Amino acid sequence: MGVSEHLDTADGGPLRAAVIGCGAIAYEHLPYLTSSPDALLVGLCDRSRALAEAARNRFGAGTVYTDAEAMLAAERPDVVHVLTPPQTHDALVRQALAAGAHVVCEKPMTGTAAETAALIEAAAAAGRVLVESRNLLFNDPVIALLAMIAEGRLGTVRECDILLSLDFLAGPFGDRNLAGPGADLPAGAVHDFLPHLVYLFQALTGAETADAVHGELANRSGNARAGFDFLDALVMAGQVRGRLRIATDVEPSAFRVAVRGSEASVETDLYNPFMRFDGPPDTGKRAPIGQMRGGFALVRAGFANLRNKIGQHGTTHGLPRMLAATYAALRRGDPPPITPAEMLATARLTDEIVALGAGR
Amino acid sequence: MKVFVTGAGGFLGRAVVDAALAAGHEVLAMHRPASLPAPETQPAGVAVVAGDLRQRGAWEQAVGEAEAVIHCAAAASGDLPTQLAGTVLATENLLAALPARLARFVHVSSFSVYDFSAPGWSGRFDERTPLEPAPLRRDAYTQTKLQQEAMVRAACRETGRVLAIIRPGAIFGPGKDWDYGRAMRVGGLDLIFAPLSPMRLVHVANCAEALVAALTVPLGGEAVVNLVDDEQPTHWGFHYRAKRAGAPLGLGVPVPYLAVRAVGVAAWLASRLFFGGRARLPEWLDLPRQQVRWRGLSYRNDEAKRVLGWRPRVTLTEGIADTVRAARQSP
Repeated sequence: MGVSEHLDTADGGPLRAAVIGCGAIAYEHLPYLTSSPDALLVGLCDRSRALAEAARNRFGAGTVYTDAEAMLAAERPDVVHVLTPPQTHDALVRQALAAGAHVVCEKPMTGTAAETAALIEAAAAAGRVLVESRNLLFNDPVIALLAMIAEGRLGTVRECDILLSLDFLAGPFGDRNLAGPGADLPAGAVHDFLPHLVYLFQALTGAETADAVHGELANRSGNARAGFDFLDALVMAGQVRGRLRIATDVEPSAFRVAVRGSEASVETDLYNPFMRFDGPPDTGKRAPIGQMRGGFALVRAGFANLRNKIGQHGTTHGLPRMLAATYAALRRGDPPPITPAEMLATARLTDEIVALGAGR
Repeated sequence: MKVFVTGAGGFLGRAVVDAALAAGHEVLAMHRPASLPAPETQPAGVAVVAGDLRQRGAWEQAVGEAEAVIHCAAAASGDLPTQLAGTVLATENLLAALPARLARFVHVSSFSVYDFSAPGWSGRFDERTPLEPAPLRRDAYTQTKLQQEAMVRAACRETGRVLAIIRPGAIFGPGKDWDYGRAMRVGGLDLIFAPLSPMRLVHVANCAEALVAALTVPLGGEAVVNLVDDEQPTHWGFHYRAKRAGAPLGLGVPVPYLAVRAVGVAAWLASRLFFGGRARLPEWLDLPRQQVRWRGLSYRNDEAKRVLGWRPRVTLTEGIADTVRAARQSP
């Protein structure tokens, strides 16, 4: 059965949505699911009944389950959001597909491209849509960057530097009180964030594959629970160069994205967004004018960020937009905003970067 | 009695272990693996149990040996998911591990579960004060402590286990000073909001002794008890006395409660007008949380004395002195 056939059964009403996993990321999905006319939250599932009940108490909807199979059988959801730790995704995604549901899965969907390919095949065989979250593509500064690139303001994109500096060891990924790995993935804690950097690089440069990947994937803190906590990767893709970095030992927290093209360069930050554009007409002798413009733009960004922090417009503000686009596509029977080919390309490049840690 | 103490490495937990030992109990003290005390530092009668309640593990066997539990562990800070894990999930795991023979559960709740807008003009605040009916208007701590208490109550009712719910006020002592009553520091000035409102203090040693008393006093099924010391200083009085005791404090500047509320109303209006009511406000600007911290209420400890036979041993003067002394000695 195809997507549109399946949606005929939705009878024009909202799609029945269910969530598996009621941890931190669920609190980013649930506001959309409980406020959009396109979604009706019917089920909340977590191995911890208390956490599932906490989510229901907060969002006021959904029947609580501790067993995914039981929820799928009882609620027959149209869409299942798999929001559990990555090592559990494969089995849960397959369960949801087998129950006839479309699936939105948090990133990383799997630990390897081969596993991603297998899940994509499973979804195709079931005639269901499978979407791996890439919410940052829907954030304001990324949308602005993509628009600048599409308009040709940068010329031909040559370089893309992305730096994520975040002390994630202070959270569950590095919590030495907890047993087992913080992230049960080939590249440990780094792997949990890496897909963001990879899909941003691919979207901003248009490069899907790499000719070569150089660099270092390491554990610099000595915290074994993290697995890997440091990445500095140089990605060569035709005329495009990319540098992707993840570090826990530098301050302040930042998610810097710089794109340089044959005509101009632009830099932003996804945690405290600003937009610094260096290019025509303010180049050469007019460069000081450009710097002054940049200064005013920075002041405006400061006020906007202050307003955003008070108004709780945070780094995950793209997630409800991504979900809205996904649900709209499901209702219309259109291709989803994140395609299987894009998911697979991201997983393959991620594999190449993760290989930097081989043997460590 | 063999007593399992959760959060034994924490501010309150350490005092509870001492008080339980002093009362002649055998203690199974649960510490997180990353901060285990050296065995040689532990007195006879204390067995250290390594574990984290957020995960099931070998600690469950130790709980199985206990005759009673004093549940101090909770996440007092962090975002909602952090507090859900450290308070709600942790308690769920603990309750699942309790042996059928466990005679008594002493639960450390909090004043934060109450509705601070409920008391009338008299300001009388006691065990009959209603619980917060709209937790979402409060912070993550209130939300998780309310759910935690409800879970404990449901589990004990289901198993017929005797339950003592102890709701302490602001626990103070060496390592925890509540900023000596000031709301914020501006240069050399200490702004003291609601200077004449009582602070609902309870010294950590007094609190621990009440919790240990709850292990053995006769209780019929379930008891709920608020804990505050006999002497309740105002915010201004606490600041003044701590400064006299040597605390490094600035000049206290009183800010009347009505002025605090007026600023809160302005912030509420701004939130409604410019942020659709979704503005994230600090405690001092947020109307419901302003009430919790600064509303002038009359706190009582009659029930604690009646039910637990408890008498606060450490006086306010002694408590301030040891708190200030500890702060001066810490690096």
